[in-house]
Amino acid sequence: MDSGNGTGRFFRTESGAGLALISPTAIYALLMLAAPLGAILLYSVFKDGYLEIIREFTLANYIEAWTNELYRQVMIRSLFVSLSVTVVTVLLAFPVAYFVSFHVAPSRKSLWLFLITIPFWTSYLIRVFLWKVILGYNGVVNSGLLWTGIIDEPLQWINYNVGAVVTTLAHAYAPFAILPIFVALEKIDRSLLEAGQDLGESKFRTFLRVTLPLAMPGVVASVLIVFIPTIGDYVTPQLIGGPEGRMVANLIQLQILKLDNYPLGSAIAVSAMAIVTAISLLFLLMTRRYLKGPK
Amino acid sequence: MTIEKPEMIEFRDVHKYYGDYHALRGITASIRAGEFFSLLGPSGCGKTTLLRTIAGFEGISSGAVLIDGKNMAGVPANKRPTNMVFQSYAIFPHLTVEENVGFGLRRDPRSKDEKTRAVAEALEMVGLKGYGKRAAHALSGGQRQRVALARALILKPKVLLLDEPLSALDKKIREQMQLELIRLQREVGITFVLVTHDQEEALVMSDRIAVMFEGEIAQLADPETLYRRPASRKVADFIGTMNFLPAKVVAEDANHTDVEVAGFGRMHLSKDQVMAGNGGEGASVGFRPETLTILFDGQQPTDRESMGTITEVVYYGDMTYYDVKLDGTEEPMRISMRNVFGRPVLDIGTRTRVAWSPGALVLFR
Ligand SMILES: Nc1ncnc2c1ncn2[C@@H]1O[C@H](COP(=O)(O)OP(=O)(O)OP(=O)(O)O)[C@@H](O)[C@H]1O
Ligand SMILES: [Mg+2]
Repeated sequence: MDSGNGTGRFFRTESGAGLALISPTAIYALLMLAAPLGAILLYSVFKDGYLEIIREFTLANYIEAWTNELYRQVMIRSLFVSLSVTVVTVLLAFPVAYFVSFHVAPSRKSLWLFLITIPFWTSYLIRVFLWKVILGYNGVVNSGLLWTGIIDEPLQWINYNVGAVVTTLAHAYAPFAILPIFVALEKIDRSLLEAGQDLGESKFRTFLRVTLPLAMPGVVASVLIVFIPTIGDYVTPQLIGGPEGRMVANLIQLQILKLDNYPLGSAIAVSAMAIVTAISLLFLLMTRRYLKGPK
Repeated sequence: MTIEKPEMIEFRDVHKYYGDYHALRGITASIRAGEFFSLLGPSGCGKTTLLRTIAGFEGISSGAVLIDGKNMAGVPANKRPTNMVFQSYAIFPHLTVEENVGFGLRRDPRSKDEKTRAVAEALEMVGLKGYGKRAAHALSGGQRQRVALARALILKPKVLLLDEPLSALDKKIREQMQLELIRLQREVGITFVLVTHDQEEALVMSDRIAVMFEGEIAQLADPETLYRRPASRKVADFIGTMNFLPAKVVAEDANHTDVEVAGFGRMHLSKDQVMAGNGGEGASVGFRPETLTILFDGQQPTDRESMGTITEVVYYGDMTYYDVKLDGTEEPMRISMRNVFGRPVLDIGTRTRVAWSPGALVLFR
């Protein structure tokens, strides 16, 4: 009775009501996100037995993950791939977003956005397969070039390597990169650009001094949106990367599902997460001067 | 009369088309160096367009715009000796007040210290001393306005262009800023070109005003001439209030025109009172409300007066507006009277005498 009253009173407070409102979602998130994460964290500090996991605390998995030459190489490659994808995607996304925002008539902008999202209409897996068809040994590019006589035998360097992975991922993430930049550009008051020129700056200088800094929140969002998921991408390196293009997700899959080494797989996963978090925070810290806007 | 100053801006038969739309229809005018010039007109008449042809944001379809004797054809906005205060102020949100004001100084050869000092001086001039480190987005509308002014004036342009700079401010601050702009303009001696649709603002601030309708300049004159001798009925209607009465021209010679107006009788008008532009409706005369006077009981009769009946009374505190239907006229006339202590406000239906003077009216024909 007494406690029931207390609970009732709690739910009538503002924060109590808020908590009550979000609780279904919160419980769902807890179950689907926090619980697996917790399990991974736990596994990563357990010992790996022959057939089962020994529940004893150890840091050996982490030591192995960070010192083994092979694992380190895969991690570095993953970072390299996702950084390359991020740079390529954002650099290509910016002009597209700029064009749509500044040079497309307002009545046609939604049409353009619609066109930009076309890649989303097919499943990610199918798009990856399409790239396989395009870049493969007997793929579209090679047979096209062979047919025109530009090359005599199929190009090897365009398939099953890091470059192919970067190409495929950059294509897959392009809309994600374009949209935040587009939104940031759309928010720029056009009279600011006229003001820049009015104050004596050329169009290009005005772009550097006004447009670019004001578009930075969008660029930062794009970078994070592309960088964070690509580092953990599994499908593309698996299908397109070949042995040269394996990334950290493939390694984790190998450890956990093939070699049945849950603790080591978990330690690699946690390490990868830690690295992504650290890099993202560092990046935010570096760009924070562009992100403080009107409250 | 003021001494004629040299021309700073000259429009030579300027036309501007937006597709099929003829936005500027043969503007020929000049703006003198150092004057406070206003472009006044209703919404959509082309004021902003004309201002933007000076700044270089808008190309022209034909004609020429000259600034300080130089044809501006092909000269981009960043190379023109003009600066603009935008209607939205266009303060860079990612910069501080100081950085905003100093934005145009990048290529200024002065040392960093001197530039900092110039920025501080500019801020002081517009009454924002000590605001330099503030983030631009943390400013009120009136303060943004001042930053925009400082940012433009620090570059010492030959011409400062202002597009409805006060329209976003509330009445009190607007009136204060009007006076401050006049003071600033006198202080710096730069030619100001102001766009406004507020006739009162134009009258208060300007040395000369161009009244625009539909892409054309209807009249270009000083405020007093514009008010007392509007060149057409349309201008008269746009600036202040005017009572119009149908009139008949009965006699005419080189210097005078005689008209017959119902309720007023015959009047002998000098040439400068006669304007064209009644819009093809025959002739009419116009009286400003303050050129008619209600005579109260006991006041001396004057040589020109008529009898009428008050049909409407609007009390404004310092003023009272009466609508009086004069005997023999069709429509009531609006008369404004300054309220004097001890004098009563008359009631609707009161019979009253109204004094007038033929010298105050304008004939449109
Ligand atoms: N970029 C444009 N394209 C097509 N028509 C335009 C363009 N800019 C202005 N116009 C038209 O030209 C006319 C004049 O516009 P302008 O902006 O000069 O008016 P204004 O006198 O400044 O009006 P306001 O007081 O409403 O600001 C308007 O009818 C407007 O619709
Ligand atoms: Mg305008």
